[in-house]
Order: sequence, then C-alpha cells, then structure tokens
Amino acid sequence: MSLIKAEGITKQYLLGNQTVDALRGISFDINQGEFIAIMGPSGSGKSTLMNIIGCLDTPTQGKYFLNQQEVSTFKGDELAKIRNKEIGFVFQTFHLLARNTALDNVMLPLKYAGFDKAKQMKRAKSVLLQVGLESRMEHQPSELSGGQQQRVAIARALVNKPSILFADEPTGNLDSQTGNEVIKLFKDLHDQGQTIILITHENEIASIAQRTIFIKDGLIESDTQNK
Amino acid sequence: MILQESISTAIDAIRANFLRSFLTAIAIIIGTASVIAMVGIGSSAQKAIDDSITNASARTLSVYPSRARGTQKINSTPLVIKDADALIKDKEIQWRVSPEIRGSKSLKYGNESITISVTGARENYFDIQGYEINHGVFFNGRDDLARKRVAVIGSAVGTELKTSSEALVGKEVNLGGVTFKIIGVINSEGVSGWSNPDDQIYIPLLTASDRVFGRDRVDSIRVEVPNLHSPEEAMISIERVLRREHDIGPGEENNFRIHDWSQFTDLQRQATAIFSALIIGIAGISLLVGGIGVMNIMLVSVTERTREIGLRKALGATEKAILFQFIIEAVTLCIIGGVAGVLLGSFLYFIITLFQDWPFAIPFSAIFGSVTFSACIGLFFGIWPARKAAQLEPAVALRYE
Repeated sequence: MSLIKAEGITKQYLLGNQTVDALRGISFDINQGEFIAIMGPSGSGKSTLMNIIGCLDTPTQGKYFLNQQEVSTFKGDELAKIRNKEIGFVFQTFHLLARNTALDNVMLPLKYAGFDKAKQMKRAKSVLLQVGLESRMEHQPSELSGGQQQRVAIARALVNKPSILFADEPTGNLDSQTGNEVIKLFKDLHDQGQTIILITHENEIASIAQRTIFIKDGLIESDTQNK
Repeated sequence: MILQESISTAIDAIRANFLRSFLTAIAIIIGTASVIAMVGIGSSAQKAIDDSITNASARTLSVYPSRARGTQKINSTPLVIKDADALIKDKEIQWRVSPEIRGSKSLKYGNESITISVTGARENYFDIQGYEINHGVFFNGRDDLARKRVAVIGSAVGTELKTSSEALVGKEVNLGGVTFKIIGVINSEGVSGWSNPDDQIYIPLLTASDRVFGRDRVDSIRVEVPNLHSPEEAMISIERVLRREHDIGPGEENNFRIHDWSQFTDLQRQATAIFSALIIGIAGISLLVGGIGVMNIMLVSVTERTREIGLRKALGATEKAILFQFIIEAVTLCIIGGVAGVLLGSFLYFIITLFQDWPFAIPFSAIFGSVTFSACIGLFFGIWPARKAAQLEPAVALRYE
C-alpha cells in the first residue's frame, strides 16, 4: 500500500471574479520511505500542491489519501490533527517562534498533541540531540545561526514522528555550505527510513532525491526516478 | 497545564509589546482604580457617618425651641429644664433625656486665657454621646444636684492652655469668673460634624444654669429612642408632653421643633451612595472604553502575528487552541490592568484616608469584583479578535507578508 495516493486533484481559486486553475488533475503515489523532490517554475501550481499534500488545504476535486485515510474530505480541526500527527513541516524562512527557546519551539507540536510536559521535554531533547543541537537548546532563534535555526525547525518537524517530512525550499535562505549540511541531514534521515518530500527549484538539490516530480501549468510534466 | 502554558505565552506576548500593552491597559487601570478608590472612600464615609451616631442601637431625637417666623429672636416660650424633667417623669417616655445648655465663656488657667465652648449637661450625656473617660472621672448626679463646680475637659483643651489636659486634672481653673476644679478628661473623639468635642468643657447642668449662665433655658433636649420604638411614636409622645407643659391649645402651632438626626444621617448616607454610584458608573464607562482599546490592540496583534498563527496551525493547533490562546492573552492583559488599577486605587484611597483621618477599609468584594469585571471585559472584547485568529486559513496565514 502506498503512503500517499493522489487521484485527479484539481484546485481552483477565485481571483476577483476570475477562476484560476492552479492544479488541473494531478495523480501520483508515494511509498513509505521514498525521498521525492517536487520541482517547477513559480506559478506552476507547486505551492498549491504542497498545501494539499501537507493538509494545509483541500482539493476542489479529486481524492487524496494519506495512510489510507481520505484526507480530502477532512475539515478544520480534523486536518489540524493530521498535520500534527502525520506531517512535519520545514519552511524556507524557518518559522521559529522568536521569543521561545529552541527547546520550546521543538516542544510545540507535542503540546498541541496533548503530551504531558515531561514527555514533551524528553522527546524534544532527544530530537535536538539527533540534529546536533544539544548544546543550544536554551537559546532563542536570534542567538542561533541560520543553519542552526533550520536544524531546530527540522527537529520540530521530526519530534512527533511524522509519516512525511515536508520541506519547502529548506536551503533557500542558507549559504551553500550550511545548505549542504542541511541536505546531508535530510539524506541521513532518509537513510533511517524517513519519507521526505522536498520542494525546490534547484536541480542540484533535487538530484539527491530518489525521484523527481516536475510540475508545470498545474499538471505533472514528468515523474522520473533518479539514478 | 495548557492554561498555565497559555498564560505564560500571553505574558510573553504582552512583555514583547510592553509600551503598547501598557497604553492599552491604562483605561482599564484608571477604571479599576476609580472603582476601588470610590468604593473605599464610600465605605469610609459611611463608617464615619455610622460612627457619628453615638449608639447604633438607638436614634437620637433633639428638641429645639422654634424661632418665630421671619426673626432671629428666640420664641418667647423657650425650652427650660422643667420641660426636660416633665419628659423624664412621663410614663410613656422611658428613654434617656438629656437637656443641654451651651454657651461660650473665657477659660483662664495661670496666665493663659482662651474662649471655650461650654456644655452644661447631666451625667448621662457622656454615655449618650459615647464619650469615654481618659483621665479622672465624669461628674455624677450628685455633683449636678449640689451644683458643684467641677468640669470635664476635652483632650485638646490642655494644649490650648499651654499644658496638657492630663496635667490639668485636679487643678483649678477660672471659667467665666467662676472657679472650677477639673476632674476628668475625655478620650480624643475627633471632629464630628461642625463641633469638636476635644475643644470643649463640660460641666453639670444645674451648675451651668445657676452659676455660669444664670438661666434655666436650655438650648436643646436630647431624647435617645431605642430602635425598638418607632421615632414617629416617640415624637408624638414628646409633642404631647411639651404641648401640655407649654399650654398650647388645640389648633395652635408648636413653639418647639423635634429633629430626628438619624434622618439627616440617612440623607447623608444616601448622598454618599449616589455619589459613589455615579463615579462607579463613570468608571464602568472607562472600563468599557478600555475594553474597546483591548479589542483594537488584539486585532492589531492578530494581524501582526498572522504568520505565527499559520505556523501554529501547520504544527497542529486546533481552532480552539488558537481561540483560547488569544482570549487568554486579552484576559491576562485586562487582569494585569485590573490588578494594577486595584493597587493604584488603594494607594489613592490610602492617601485620602490619611488626610481625612478615616479608617482604611476596602471591602474584599470590591477588589474581587473589579478584577473579575476587568477579566470579563477582556473575555468579551477578546472573543472577536480571537475568533478572527482561529479562523485564519493556515496556508494563507503562513505566506502572509
């Protein structure tokens, strides 16, 4: 069984009184443990697709299954629960809470999952250890380098053991060296069996993935296995 | 646990925008401060009024000679000691009756001389007034019948004679040309109404009548009516006796008047209550304005933190969690404002009690009530911005610039 199954997904927006077709029928399967890059020029519908796969939004038409659940019929808080349990987000701009320490940031998904404080701490600390930030746990984002901030964000994405790690241009705000470090971290996570979906426009970064899906004009232009 | 977490998040957010939060909270602070100060002042004033009624279980009726209409001259039929005695003898009137002669005389001690208010009264006067002896003794009924030249003084009299009241006990003074022996000093009573009992000298009624003022006309007769009896019935009894004594025929007007002092205090109490209610009403408007300010700032905060809200939702925050977070923030802001207001109000009230020589007593219910009310303001005005936050689309909010 596949982890993700998308069947004929379309998405229409209303811009003023004009209907815009952002996605025009997209279907694919993603299996457990895959490392996938989604590419495409801006305006291709890449972000819209990401929102739908990430359960931040629902398709206008089509079916989207995640772990055999038909998520496309879910609403509001049901989607929030799926995001909390199944998906770990890593954003280009890190999106850390500025007034909280690294540890507090990483604990946040567990708080929304309803774990007790002791368990939140224990898990968050072990994930921060995994990303090599055990010595920076009590620091606020402003006291961390860009690379460190992104590793906090990755720790936060991993802390609730999601089915999918979802990264949207994770190296976009980093210099090439720290970018490479982050990419290496993704590779390591993949080697440990983590399913990863990476959205990027850089071929170099996409090339580390096993498979690349290229989106153009709201349709899949190509879906290729990398060597 | 979630509540504790939310409160600490809220306090962080308030601290991060301290100046803005403070300015927002000012109206709440002013509102609560005025409520606390006014309730405090109100209760103190009330207490002061209550204390001025000498005996809480009784009302005092005072009988005065009435003035003839349009003139300042005392009516040809004055009140005399005999009228008081008739009241005492009457079977229906079983209450304490205190005839009083008042005037002003010079008081000499050594080389010092002052003008002093003199009250001639019976021994029950002190008890009716609630005065307590501080030094020495009060005069008694035998002193009165014997027209003894003994006097009790207020606590401030000694100072005016360049000595102390305590030191004057046992000494002889000259009151209006008559030598008196000071036998007692009353406790300091403080100003009540327009008279200050601390500045006065008290002598037996008959001594005052025969030796000092040379008249049996009294200035007033005080009748203490226990609360069990209706003051109206007491007035009728007093009227009946005095009309008989003064030979007033049917249809003729009274040549005396009976004043119910507790009616006056009732009025005073009502006036204080109305005044307090007015100020509290204004304070309520201030709190309302404060609440609108809080709503405004919460809306700004929600807009400003759209990305944060988007992120929280992406990480799995439910609508309820976001709603709760922002409501808690608004309520926390208002409670902090409320507590600050309580402190400020208490401080102002404390300063006022120092100047007015009032007891400091803020009812706990006022503190609890005003802080609770502030919290409710926060709750009420926080709901709308919080709902706005909770209903943001996560995908849109995350990309908000």
